[in-house]
Amino acid sequence: MDARRMRFEAQVLPHLDSAYRFARWLTRSPADADDLVQESVLRAWRGLEGLRGTDVRAWLFAIVRNCHATLHRQGRRHASVPLPGEHETEEDLAMASTDPDPEALAVMSDDERQFDRLLAGLSEEHREVLALRELEEMSYREIADITRIPIGTVMSRLARAREALRERWLKESEGELRGVR
Amino acid sequence: MACAESLKVQAYFDGELEGPQARAIEQHLESCTDCRALLTDLKRLRTVIRRDLSPRAPAALTERIRAALDAEPAQATVHVLRPAAARRPFWLGAFGGLTVGALAASLLFSLMPLIGGSFAEELAGAHVRSLGSTHLVEVESSDHHTVKPWFAGHADVSPVVADFAAQGFRLVGGRTDLLDHQRAAVLVYQHGAHVINVFAWEDRHGGRAGRDTRSGYHMIFWQDRDLAYCAVSDTGWNELEGLVALLRAQQAADAPH
Repeated sequence: MDARRMRFEAQVLPHLDSAYRFARWLTRSPADADDLVQESVLRAWRGLEGLRGTDVRAWLFAIVRNCHATLHRQGRRHASVPLPGEHETEEDLAMASTDPDPEALAVMSDDERQFDRLLAGLSEEHREVLALRELEEMSYREIADITRIPIGTVMSRLARAREALRERWLKESEGELRGVR
Repeated sequence: MACAESLKVQAYFDGELEGPQARAIEQHLESCTDCRALLTDLKRLRTVIRRDLSPRAPAALTERIRAALDAEPAQATVHVLRPAAARRPFWLGAFGGLTVGALAASLLFSLMPLIGGSFAEELAGAHVRSLGSTHLVEVESSDHHTVKPWFAGHADVSPVVADFAAQGFRLVGGRTDLLDHQRAAVLVYQHGAHVINVFAWEDRHGGRAGRDTRSGYHMIFWQDRDLAYCAVSDTGWNELEGLVALLRAQQAADAPH
C-alpha cells in the first residue's frame, strides 16, 4: 500500500459509516446508498489533494451531497420525477417519493422497512438536517456550512423536521399496536 | 410547539446555548409545561433516531469500496496516460492535459461555496465540473429550435439561444446546472479547442455586471431584463467578449419593441 492510500485509509475511510448513514438518510434506499457512498469515496480518492482543512468528515459529506445532487439529477432526467422540495402539493409529493418497488421491498429486512417507513414522509431537506444533527452531532454552524443555509433556517428546519418525524413515529407505533390487537 | 420559546428550548437541547442563556431557558422550563413536554419529546425522538435509524455500512460495501480503490490507477499518471484522448470528445481532450493538481482544484471548487466562497467561484466550479463530466451537454444540437424548447422543459429560465458558427462560436448544445437554488440554463459553445459555458439564471435585482477571473477562468456577467448571464471560459478576453457581444445583439433583436 502506497503512502497516498495509507493516508486515505487513515483519514477518510474511518468516516465510511458516517457517510453511509448520511447516504441512507438522503436516498432512503440501501441500494442507492451503496452506490452513492461508493461513488463519493472514489471521488474523494481522486480528489484527495483537494483536502486541505482538518475536517475530513465535512469534506466527505460535501462530496456525498454533491454526488447525490448529480445522481439524483440524472435519475430525474430519465424518470422525470421532480426534485424533493420542488413539489407543492401532496399529490406531487407522492409522485416524488422514492418508494422501493415491491421486489425491493421483499428483499428488505424488517429494520430496513422500518427505516423506510419512518423517513418516507420527510422531505429531503428535513432528512438532511436531522441526520446531520442527531446522528453526526454537528453544531448548527457546521450544518449551516454544509447545507449552505443560514443558521436561523437550520433551527426552524430542524424544528419542523423533528415535528414531522415525531408524528410519523407516533403513527407508526399506533399501527403496530393495532396490529398486535 | 405553541410557546414562543420553543426554538430556544431546541437550541438548549442541542447544546447551542451559552451559560446565561441556558440558565434562562432552564428557568423558563420550570414554569412552562409546553416546553417541558417539548424537551421530553426531543429526548425521546433522539433515542428513537439513534436506536432505529442509524444503519452501519454493510461489510460487503466496505469490501466493494476497497476493491474499487485497488482498481484505481496510480494517481500521478492517470490523467496524462490516456491513449484514447484523440478519440474522445474535444472537451475531454482539452481536459486530458490537466494535472492531478487541477483536478484537485476542481474538487476544491465544488467545496468552495460551503466555505464562504463567492458566487463567481460557484460558477467557475460549475464550468470546471462540466469539462470533466460526460454531461457537458444534455441536449446536443446547434439548432436553436431544438435547444430553446428543451430548456422550457428542463430549466427554470428560457435564455436567448443562437448559433454563431459563422463567427467562430459553434453552439454545441445545452444543459441545466443547479445554481443559486434554481435550474440555470447553460448554453455550451465551442471556440477552437475551448469550451465556453454561458449560464443564465433568474435575477430580478439585476445587480451583477462586469468581469471576474477565478483560477484562470475569465467570466463576463451581464443582465438582460430579469435574467442574469455569465460567460465562462479559458479563452482570452477578446474571444469571450466577442461571444458576449453576439449574444447581447441577439437579445436586443429579440427584445419586445
